[in-house]
Amino acid sequence: MSGFGVAFRIGVELVAALVVGVGAGLLLDRWLGTTPWFLIVFFFLGAAAGVLNVYRAASGIGLAEAEGAPAPSDGEPEEQDDDWPGGTGSDRP
Amino acid sequence: MANPLHQFEIQVVAPIHFGDVNASLTNSGVFMLITVAAVTLFLMFGMRNRRLVPGRWQSMAELSYEFIAGMVRDNVGNEGRRYFPFIFSLFMFILFGNLIGLVPYSFTFTSHIIVTFAMAMFVFLGVTVIGIVRHRLKFFSYFLPKGVPLVMAPLLIPIEIMSYLSRPISLSIRLFANMMAGHTMMKVFAGFVVPLGILGGWAPLSIDVALTAFEFLVAFLQAYVFTILTCIYLHDAIHLH
Amino acid sequence: MRGFIRLLGGLTLTATAGTGAASAATLPQLDREFYASQVIWLAISFLILYVILWRFVLPRISHILEERQDRIEGNLERAETIRREAQATAEAYEKAVAESRAAAQAVIAKARDRMTAEAAAHHAKLGQRLAAEIAEAEGRIQEAKNEAMAHLRDVAVEVASSAAERLAGERVDPRAVGKVVDRVLKERS
Repeated sequence: MSGFGVAFRIGVELVAALVVGVGAGLLLDRWLGTTPWFLIVFFFLGAAAGVLNVYRAASGIGLAEAEGAPAPSDGEPEEQDDDWPGGTGSDRP
Repeated sequence: MANPLHQFEIQVVAPIHFGDVNASLTNSGVFMLITVAAVTLFLMFGMRNRRLVPGRWQSMAELSYEFIAGMVRDNVGNEGRRYFPFIFSLFMFILFGNLIGLVPYSFTFTSHIIVTFAMAMFVFLGVTVIGIVRHRLKFFSYFLPKGVPLVMAPLLIPIEIMSYLSRPISLSIRLFANMMAGHTMMKVFAGFVVPLGILGGWAPLSIDVALTAFEFLVAFLQAYVFTILTCIYLHDAIHLH
Repeated sequence: MRGFIRLLGGLTLTATAGTGAASAATLPQLDREFYASQVIWLAISFLILYVILWRFVLPRISHILEERQDRIEGNLERAETIRREAQATAEAYEKAVAESRAAAQAVIAKARDRMTAEAAAHHAKLGQRLAAEIAEAEGRIQEAKNEAMAHLRDVAVEVASSAAERLAGERVDPRAVGKVVDRVLKERS
């Protein structure tokens, strides 16, 4: 699980950024008629963004443990200084 | 052998059309509604007695509540409290969608890219709107990491923007691909059971049993990952790093 | 957007090509015919779920969690009060025991003192009486002794006188005899 999981996660992060880069390049090229220059530039930018994503995922803004083992928080909600009434959320993101 | 992708096919249950828009109720929509009902029943049934000393079922309902409350608190902070109902709903919806999809002959709506993409896009846009409303123009400083020389800005800003825009894509692909791959694999091995007969059928069958256990883990893990990433994105939007 | 989705489709094709068994063209996930309906029903069902959870379910759960927390805190508080009360009782008991012990000690000490004093008084009185009796007895002895001594002298004088009379045949001057006797007595005593 872990080896495959890590590889898959890194793949997804990399590919997602590449998709954005290539998509943006194609759209810009179509708009401005500059085929294939924006595609080339944005492919590399997307690749860089992908590497950045992978770096961030690996060096952990919580992502590292996210795919590894779910780490349930140890603190009970009751131990908080403030309570968490479920129904106070007035707006949605 | 049955086509392992047959399970992902959409079948119209009730055709509905608004002008050009095909809003038919399909098996996908039916299972979304079933998921909603299941989550509601699970929580309502667990809470029907409201015992101070919880039974097994009530403990599970409370545990899921505390699990997500802890996740939101740890990853978003106190400002995340108002978004807790949304995040909790998101987690339960994905988790039950994944789990119900494991039942034979059912349909897994989380194995459809358009569904996961719509959810990821909703989260992405919502989080971005929250960030902009909270920080106005300062929100865009998010794309220029601190301590970076200005000369690098023309290069780094597009990269950061692309990294940001890739969030809904990685979020949706991760969930979709995990669910689809697991279900396809299960179906492929299941397809071998009968043709190989009594002599050889036990091997793919046992693999399928192991895969099913594994898929339960994946179902939970992917719901967890989707939710915790939502929390992390929310945290970024609220605190700008 | 449309091109974007198509791109996404292309990507998922390559991503799932590894699973092998599928021919990419028939991947149902890429059939855009039902995209709109799936998104619509997703929005409907998720909205229903959100409203149910937000309005009815979550307040229930948080309410019961809070209530339990309050109950636990209340119980802890009560336990603490009871413990404190028990401690106070124990302390009072200890104190009472210590007090009564001290009181008993005092009573005993007092009794002992009194008895000692009484004994001492008795003793002194007895001593006094004995001393008085001894003194009296001694006085009496002395008197008797004196008396005896006095008689002894008279007897000695008489004996000496009569012995001298018999021996010498003449009357001896009693005063001279007395002098001699006195001298002898003095020598002997």
